[in-house]
Amino acid sequence: MPFAFVDTLTENFDAFVEGFFTTVQIVVVSFVIAMVVGTLVAAFRVAPNKALQRVGGVYVEFFRNIPLLVLLFITFPGLRRAGVEISAYVAGVVSLGLYTAAYVAESLRSGVFSVPKGQIEASLSLGFSYPETLRRIVLPQAFRTVISPLGSLIIAMIKNSAIIGGSILALDDLLKTGRVIASRTFDVVPAFVWAASGYLILTGLATLAIRRLETRYAVRR
Amino acid sequence: MTVAVFEWLTAGNNLRFILEGFLINLQIAIVAMVLALAAGLALALLRLSRNRVVSIATGIWVDVFRNLPLLLLILFLFLWIPQSARETWEDLMPSWMPESWHSGLMLAGLSGLVLYNSAVLAEIMRAGILSLPRGQREAAQALGLNYQQSMRHVILPQGLRRMVPATVSQLITLNKDTTLVSIIAIVEVMRRARTVTATSGNPFTGGGVEAPILEVFLFVGLLFIIVNYALSRLSRLLEVRETERTGSAPKVEVRGLEEQVA
Repeated sequence: MPFAFVDTLTENFDAFVEGFFTTVQIVVVSFVIAMVVGTLVAAFRVAPNKALQRVGGVYVEFFRNIPLLVLLFITFPGLRRAGVEISAYVAGVVSLGLYTAAYVAESLRSGVFSVPKGQIEASLSLGFSYPETLRRIVLPQAFRTVISPLGSLIIAMIKNSAIIGGSILALDDLLKTGRVIASRTFDVVPAFVWAASGYLILTGLATLAIRRLETRYAVRR
Repeated sequence: MTVAVFEWLTAGNNLRFILEGFLINLQIAIVAMVLALAAGLALALLRLSRNRVVSIATGIWVDVFRNLPLLLLILFLFLWIPQSARETWEDLMPSWMPESWHSGLMLAGLSGLVLYNSAVLAEIMRAGILSLPRGQREAAQALGLNYQQSMRHVILPQGLRRMVPATVSQLITLNKDTTLVSIIAIVEVMRRARTVTATSGNPFTGGGVEAPILEVFLFVGLLFIIVNYALSRLSRLLEVRETERTGSAPKVEVRGLEEQVA
C-alpha cells in the first residue's frame, strides 16, 4: 500500500517538522561553538610560541580521535554524576561543537598556511601586532580558502547530530522522532525513510549553499 | 571515598574487562573495513561504468548512503532485519569467533557500518582513479589493452595507491563509529564501561571501588585516542613516502573532507 507510506508522514507531520528543526537548531548552535573554539585553537596552532602550539595540537588530537559517543558520555552522565548540573541539550551541543572545532582548527590552519608569508611580514613591518595581523590580514583570507572544507564539516555535523538524539541524551531530533514513530506505529520503513529524507534535504541544501558561496567568494590557491 | 583517581582501574578485573571490550571494537572495525573496501571498489567501478544507467543508479546509491547519518542506518537495520535472518547469522557464525559476534544484532551493526563506509570509500576510490592523468588510459588503449585489462594493469594499481592515506583516515573514523553499535545493545567497550560503572562499587562483583562514569569514559576515550593517533601518524608516513616515490604529492580531491569526520 503506497498510501500507508504517505499516511505516516501526514499523521505525524508536526512531530517530523519539530524533529527537523530541532536537528537544525542543534547543528546551528554547535557550528557557532565549533567556529569560535576552532578559530581559537587554530590561532594557538599557528602562534609564534612552541608551548601554545603544543596546547593547540593536544586539543586537536584529543577531540579528533575520541568517538563522539564517548564524549557525550563524559559530558552528560559523567559530569552530572560528578556534581555538575548540565542539561542534555547543553551537553549535546557543546560536545558536538568541541568535537567539530578540532576539524575546524585543522582546516583553518591549512588555510592560514596558504596565505603567503610575505603578507604577514608586510603586516608586521607596518606596525600591526601579531594578533592584529591574524585578525585583519590572515584570517579573512584564510576563511575564504576554507569555505569548501568548512562546508563539508557542516554536512558532517548534520550527520553527527543524529548521535545526540540516538544516545542516552535522547534529544527529540529527527532521528529520535523517526525512531519513536517507528516503534509506536510499527511502520518501520516509512518512519525511517521520512526521517532519512529530512537528513537528505538538510545535507542537500547545505551542499547547494556551499557551492554558491564557493563560486562567490572562494579563493583558489 | 578517597580522592584517588583511576583507583578503580586496578580493582577487580575492571581493566581487563574494558580492554577486552575494546578489542571487540577493533575486530568490528577490521571486519567492516575489509568488507567495505571490497564493496566500495565494486561501487566505484560501477559508478565509472560507461553504461549511463548503471553509473547514474550507482551514483544515487552512493550519494544517498554517504549523506545519511550512520546511526540512522544502524537503527533502521536493527528494526528492519527479520528475526529469521538474525538466527541464520547466529547459526552460521563459527564457534571460534569471539562471543559478541554470535549475537544476531551484530548483523545489523555490521551491515550499517559496511553500507555507510562502502559508499564513502567508493567516493575516495573514484577520486583516486579520476585523479590519474588522462594519458594513462589513452596509453593503455594505444598499447592494445581493452577496458578490463587497462583497469586491472594500469589504472587501478596507480589509482588505488593514491587513496591509501584517505583510506587510513577513513579507518580512524570507522574505528570511532564502532561505538555506535552499543546503541543497539551489542556488547563492546561502551557497554562494558557502563557495566563497570554500575558494578565496580560492589565488593563481590567489582573490587569494592567506585568507578566514576567520568573517569571510566575518559579512559575509554584515551584507548581510542591512542590507536587513532597511531593510525594518523601512519597515514602521514604513507603520504610522505608516496610523495618521495613519485616526486609529487598524491593530490586526491575527494569532494568534501566530511568523509574524515565521524
